[in-house]
Amino acid sequence: MLLDLSEEHKEHLAFLPQVDGAVVAEFGRIAVEFLRRGANPKVYEGAARKLGVSSEAVQHGVEGLTYLLAESARLMISELDFQDSVFVLGFSEELNRLLLQLYLDNRREIRTILGELAPSLPSYHSLEWRLDVQLASRSLRQQIKPAVTIKLHLNQNGDHNTKVLQTDPATLLHLVQQLEQALEEMKTNHCRRVVRNIK
Amino acid sequence: MELSESVQKGFQMLADPGSFDSNAFTLLLRAAFQSLLDAQADEAVLDHPDLKHIDPVVLKHCHAAAATYILEAGKHRADKSTLSTYLEDCKFDRERIELFCTEYQNNKNSLEILLGSIGRSLPHITDVSWRLEYQIKTSQLHKMYKPAYLVTLNVENTDSRSYPEISFSCSMEQLQVQY
Repeated sequence: MLLDLSEEHKEHLAFLPQVDGAVVAEFGRIAVEFLRRGANPKVYEGAARKLGVSSEAVQHGVEGLTYLLAESARLMISELDFQDSVFVLGFSEELNRLLLQLYLDNRREIRTILGELAPSLPSYHSLEWRLDVQLASRSLRQQIKPAVTIKLHLNQNGDHNTKVLQTDPATLLHLVQQLEQALEEMKTNHCRRVVRNIK
Repeated sequence: MELSESVQKGFQMLADPGSFDSNAFTLLLRAAFQSLLDAQADEAVLDHPDLKHIDPVVLKHCHAAAATYILEAGKHRADKSTLSTYLEDCKFDRERIELFCTEYQNNKNSLEILLGSIGRSLPHITDVSWRLEYQIKTSQLHKMYKPAYLVTLNVENTDSRSYPEISFSCSMEQLQVQY
């Protein structure tokens, strides 16, 4: 699959051949940092001054590069497709190679970052548990009521959430049994076939 | 067990064969247990033809006294000798004491379950359901190919009688480590 680059995008990227390889590599680093932590306009100004160009040109160059890397990583395009997509920009062999290297080096990390952007439900983080025995309450004395207290740690959109819950041993066994069945499902022929064939 | 004067007075009336004959006594006793233990019970529990001849104020007083005593006894897990002692103090005859103890024994388990279920506790997990999915792509990421589990815990809140659910996603590895 080839990347479809808009005219505006191509214009922004046209800045790259004007600077030498080391600078492009630096822009690449800034671009990935941009994806990790968000844009930092001060970086643009420093670079612009050093190169003797407008900070806007630097910004466009970095943004263009960021978008190129992010889109390529999102679609998980192959090396060949990446090279062909970049070819239309008419850059030098050396620049093309540099861009490809940038893509391959950072692809995994970018995909991890993009993965965090998906609409998500709270996801499991960890679980703490404790076994208690209730001995008495205001309404009934001399009890022996075992209970398992669980602190469930969940993550959602970067927020950490904890829920404190309780259950009795019988229900706990039932829960464990159900979840074991869930795990067993992955080993069935049906699931194995799907995982093997959809790649 | 601390019992008020009102309870004591009620029992003294119950002890009196002049106010409550054998039949009425049994009926009132059973009515008291029924009010406490039967979820469907209402005021009509005292509406029995064999209780009609008794002054309704007295009837209510004794019914309340009996119910209060039963709850206190249940709460403290009173044994037969404790019950007997108190009833003797209230001037119950042997026969009525036996009757009371038998009724109490018959209903003891239900009573304890009822009392045990009252009270605050943490949200209680009652069930779990799960879903296994194979993620292929999202708007942010194509060609994912990753299995994931969606687990939903059914939770019961004893106070508010609400039934919130807690859902979360987790990977196969996380599910294995959980227990």
